[in-house]
Amino acid sequence: MIQSQISNLKSEIVFEDVSKFYGEILGVNRVNLTIAPGITSLVGPNGSGKTTLMNLMTGLIQPTRGRISILGIAPSDPQALFRKVGYCGQFDSFPKGMTGYEFVKSFLSVHGLSNKEAEGKTWRAIERVDLVEAAHRKVAAYSKGMRQRIRLAQAIAHDPAVMILDEPLNGLDPMARAETIRLFRQLAQEGQHLIVSSHILHEVDKMSDRVVLINNGYILAEGGVTGVREEKMEEHPMQIMIRCDRPQEFAARVFASDSVVEATLHPDKQGLFIKTRNADAFYQLLNRVVVENGMNIESVSPVDDDLNAVYHYLIGSNGGGQS
Amino acid sequence: MAVYEHTYKPYEGKLTPAWSRFLVLPRYVYQDLFKYKLFIALFVVCYVCPLIYAVLIYLRHNTSALAAFGVTSFDIARELPIGGGFFFAFTNIQTWLAFIMTVIIGPVLISRDLANNALPLYLCRPFTRFEYIAGKMSVLLILLSLITWVPGLLLFLFNSYLEGGGWIAENWYIATAIFTLSVSWLALLALLSMAFSAWIKWRTAASAALFAILIIPTPIGFAIQGLFGTTVGHLLNPAMAFGSLAKHLFRLDWMDAFLTEGESWFVFAAYAAVCLFMLSRKVRAYEVVS
Repeated sequence: MIQSQISNLKSEIVFEDVSKFYGEILGVNRVNLTIAPGITSLVGPNGSGKTTLMNLMTGLIQPTRGRISILGIAPSDPQALFRKVGYCGQFDSFPKGMTGYEFVKSFLSVHGLSNKEAEGKTWRAIERVDLVEAAHRKVAAYSKGMRQRIRLAQAIAHDPAVMILDEPLNGLDPMARAETIRLFRQLAQEGQHLIVSSHILHEVDKMSDRVVLINNGYILAEGGVTGVREEKMEEHPMQIMIRCDRPQEFAARVFASDSVVEATLHPDKQGLFIKTRNADAFYQLLNRVVVENGMNIESVSPVDDDLNAVYHYLIGSNGGGQS
Repeated sequence: MAVYEHTYKPYEGKLTPAWSRFLVLPRYVYQDLFKYKLFIALFVVCYVCPLIYAVLIYLRHNTSALAAFGVTSFDIARELPIGGGFFFAFTNIQTWLAFIMTVIIGPVLISRDLANNALPLYLCRPFTRFEYIAGKMSVLLILLSLITWVPGLLLFLFNSYLEGGGWIAENWYIATAIFTLSVSWLALLALLSMAFSAWIKWRTAASAALFAILIIPTPIGFAIQGLFGTTVGHLLNPAMAFGSLAKHLFRLDWMDAFLTEGESWFVFAAYAAVCLFMLSRKVRAYEVVS
């Protein structure tokens, strides 16, 4: 039992009752989290405490209270910690005059890699972010997306077990985003931890194994998006849009069921919105109604079982208009 | 549910010694500095004085060379005594050249990193704030050593070789003085320039502050001395401390000194402590939310 706990501690990121205050200003409060390998996204509005959580994980700031363990290592031990952690901040952070190649390589040298090893790993990281052709150009001449990718390269270059990436998708064009998400999935597949903060909710939804919703320094929810959504089912029944040939009749049939809370006709009269607290029971009912009444169903699509909806219900906005 | 293959393997290769990693920082700064022809020219100018001193030492021990130039009536041994004064003059010239180099290099050492938010990058490595400061400080210390105590000691050894006999044993204090005075001064210059670099983003203002810290305390010190008849005012003056320390280390009895050796060391230590405090307040990775 104890051995299994120790083993978990060495493979997980653990926050135990962590609070951080900047003077009288709250950074995060009473955070209890356990993060397993895979992609974990930190989601919340600006100033919610995402970057504070990341800075706490990297030891850049110390908690006012509580304890943090990164794979069994305290963030106050940078020598041990940064062997295992790669960090990509959200700001443009480039020492002046460096080329992309020098930027990645110099920080590998700081990690203690020999010149030859650093060279090899630099090229590997640059290849992974697809910047080989621009490697010997000065970072100052890079576009915003290229800068983002080279920062990502320096974060992954030393093969860290944990990657902490603050807004890594910012400034990337759709192709580069897709490539970057694919890289994240590949790294997660290899068993690495990726802690990602992002405002691009639909992409977070697509790539994350779990999300941590944070607002005003408090953790509001954590886990898989579906699981979190289910927990809010009582308060916010799930909305499903059904496109069919006889929406009024369909509404009358299903409304008799306990699983349906509300049925509203679509303005174009070609469909309806159903609200249910038990999606599984509703889908069974839907099958039965369709078979028994010979209805023609064009589409069935849940409207609010994604991260956007979860964000909306828990934080009370649509994420500031982010898509 | 995600299925993980767990094929990840961390780097397990050999690492360079932890103590040597701060030297990565000067390497890249030098690369940048030596791209400028003007800087290279200034660096070369810094070797004019050592060259002249080397020639003087050579001529001092080789009167036949003087005769080759037609100079026969000049008693160089009497006119050019090589001792504490000779090497102090050399050290004085070179340390002031070091000051000019510091004014050029120092003010941007940290301010650029602060302006570019690059500190978290450095501190997200197996790299402490102390190592960061040591790395930045070594940029100046290594470069300025090459124009101050290194040529100074080479000249000392050159003269010892030409003098022969027991000269080196009798004058060992000169070597100690060259090294101690130069290194202390360079350390102070490096700390001052880094502290100003961390607090003053505008390069010109940081350079002006460096000049001011060496110039302004002089009239203040003399004003206090004139009004109250005490030399306490000179305790603000690092340049005065340098001069007083030189008098003691080079055993220059003819030179006036307004501070004792202990007071001079105190001035250096006090300035260093203030600079370290200023650096500790600024060289931090996190953002303060207000």
